[in-house]
Amino acid sequence: MDRAGGNIALKEFLYKIADDLLILGHRNSEWTGIGPLLEEDIAFSSMAQDKIGQSLALYQLLHELGEEDPDKVAFMRKAGEFRNCQLVELPIAEYEFSLVRHFLFDHSIFLRFQELSNSSYHPLAMVAKKLVGELRYHVLHANTFTKKLGTATEESIRRMQAALDEAIPYSLGIFEPSPYEQELIDMGIFSGERLLCQTWEQEVMNIIRQTSLKMPDIDRDQAKTGGRSGIHTEYLQLLLDEMSEVFKLDPGAEW
Amino acid sequence: MYGGGNIFEATKFDNLTQEDPVKLDEFEARIARGEKIEPSDWMPALYRKQLIRMIEQHANSEIIGALPEGTWITRAPGFKRKMALMAKVQDEVGHAQLLYSAAETLGKSREQMMQDLINGRSKYSNIFNYPAFTWADSTIISWLVDAGAIVNQLANSKGSYGPYCRALERICAEESFHLKYGHHAVIHLATGSKIQREMVQDALNRWWPPMMHFFGPPDRISVHTEVLTKWKVKMATNDECRQQFLDMYVPKIWELELTVPDPNLKKNEQTRQWEYTEPDWEEFIRVINGDGPCNKERLAVRRNAEERGRWVRQALLTPEAKYVTPLA
Amino acid sequence: MAFESLDPRIKRWNLSLQRNEEYQSADLDQLPTYEVFLQMRDGKAYEHAGIVHAATADMAFVFAKEQFSRRYTCTGMWVVLSERVWVTDCMELEENVYDHIVDTSINADGPQEEYEIFHLMKRGKQHKHAGTVGTTGHQQAILQAKTQFDDGTPVLNIWTAKKADISATDAEDQVIWSTLKDKTHREVISYRAGDRLKAFKERQNG
Repeated sequence: MDRAGGNIALKEFLYKIADDLLILGHRNSEWTGIGPLLEEDIAFSSMAQDKIGQSLALYQLLHELGEEDPDKVAFMRKAGEFRNCQLVELPIAEYEFSLVRHFLFDHSIFLRFQELSNSSYHPLAMVAKKLVGELRYHVLHANTFTKKLGTATEESIRRMQAALDEAIPYSLGIFEPSPYEQELIDMGIFSGERLLCQTWEQEVMNIIRQTSLKMPDIDRDQAKTGGRSGIHTEYLQLLLDEMSEVFKLDPGAEW
Repeated sequence: MYGGGNIFEATKFDNLTQEDPVKLDEFEARIARGEKIEPSDWMPALYRKQLIRMIEQHANSEIIGALPEGTWITRAPGFKRKMALMAKVQDEVGHAQLLYSAAETLGKSREQMMQDLINGRSKYSNIFNYPAFTWADSTIISWLVDAGAIVNQLANSKGSYGPYCRALERICAEESFHLKYGHHAVIHLATGSKIQREMVQDALNRWWPPMMHFFGPPDRISVHTEVLTKWKVKMATNDECRQQFLDMYVPKIWELELTVPDPNLKKNEQTRQWEYTEPDWEEFIRVINGDGPCNKERLAVRRNAEERGRWVRQALLTPEAKYVTPLA
Repeated sequence: MAFESLDPRIKRWNLSLQRNEEYQSADLDQLPTYEVFLQMRDGKAYEHAGIVHAATADMAFVFAKEQFSRRYTCTGMWVVLSERVWVTDCMELEENVYDHIVDTSINADGPQEEYEIFHLMKRGKQHKHAGTVGTTGHQQAILQAKTQFDDGTPVLNIWTAKKADISATDAEDQVIWSTLKDKTHREVISYRAGDRLKAFKERQNG
């Protein structure tokens, strides 16, 4: 489906996924060179690069739909213009938080891309089909680590639990429905955030059940939403200021 | 990446009298034939010791070398530079892993190597003790420091120890991207806007003196390492490497209309040797012994990363886990 | 003593530069090692690539994939604990380790298992998978390998490991390498600046 009708809904949909991937990729890249184990440092960095590459693919789709070029879109917008969920903009904190965020988010994006491989918007389906393979690896990594660290030592369980407790309300923000939700469903773009969230909960619980961790009671009222409409924590503008510091020295220049 | 500022210990020749002369002869004959030494081979204690030291220093240089460029990962301008710099610094961590692994085949554990690095007992390339003040600094490092490292690596890849050579083969393959990326980034700055040109010229001015230190002190004041040359542990002299670097890269710097902050730098057409202002070797010694602008920070960061990661590694251990020296 | 790092990530750590006590790493802090073998194309022999430190085979696989196949598409990967690999002596030039195998097995009874055999053909190269034998022990595996794989070509060194000790990827895992060739940001080809340099020189000279 390539009609101009429903363009706003589609663009917003693409922006939120692209922004999620860019911001999380950026956060995860902060661990490069300073991770807990050389091999894990390398693995985490690859996944961060993958995410940034994935965000670029989506910004390119947006560019084809008339939005500005990816560099401008990524490096010049203000926080209020970003549509990522708040989960991804939070600081990297200690490794347990980054790992738990990786686990929760990557399951959601894997499911999302699997579904989008059959999207009625053909260019998006092509991108999703291509990228879903690398996400399979990301989820494998996340599951391996969550299972291990969620069962191994008293300290690792304690840390992972605290991180899970903190991250869950934010992760519900991934599935904050857009005002165009029904339109997107009707157009066949995807099957909606609610269904995605349900599947995601099952996948996540499958793994959590294999650990000593407990899923906190998911009180939907405590979900940290707002990101999808440009309401963010103070961390996002700080992140963007840092990310665009050099770019903005000379935005017209070729770096 | 790594620099030739290897501190080779003055070799004590009488150590070799403790070694079995027949085995020593066979060992040296193998090397002279151009064959590689593998981990299970007999080797003199001095060979093992010097190799561990050299490979360890190289590995340390990679993991510490990830820090100055890492300074700019979150601020890389544009998608292309962002992903490239992430990949490059990731490669450096990867190279550290490959090199520590090669050193491990000689019998020293990675824990011990990490501990010695953090406690200041083993060294790393001096150049990483300098600060990366701007984005342009990161590009100069990516280009020229990697260029220097490649000169060293190519020489060492013809050395005698199998595992080290195999690691270097992988490393050299990845370095070609590093060099191209660095050069690409510097070209864009040097041929770009006024702000960009000034930034890169300023960075070059600051990094040139450490770059002249990179290959280590001149041969005439260096420690004698004849036996290490015979054993193909040290494959090229410091001056040879430095000349090669200047020959390859000064013309490339000049073609960008950048100036090198050394009015005496020129190639002598008769001797075909580059002439330059003698670097300050006192500074080199001072910095390598701990008194550089970033020494404390580099080690503090490494230490902090290890300490913060301790709970992860501890959690990954299984009761049956046992460590044996890796094979190759 | 706090200090200001130039790296914003490090600044957020509030590091202290002054530490009085020495850093002490624990024994086995960096975990045991797994030998990694890669198959670069369907049908080609698996070849040794290096090691990873890891807690389990699953983790070794996850790590090895990133450390050894970041750039080159593979079709398969094997990982095995270094501890579980048996090695022979390393021969001199042109000697064949198979000529020096002595049958010291006291009794060859026991359950039949599959053992993978790896050959080193030249010092400085990597071990390559030669084939599989079915037998009762590592020593027997090398003896068996002699009957199956020794064709007179000098083999310098042999490794053998039980197939059961090796963790292997399967055909459906190949999808994880599917987007590798698109990751051009790690390739030299993405960094051509010849035209830009040329244009610059023309501007300066013109």
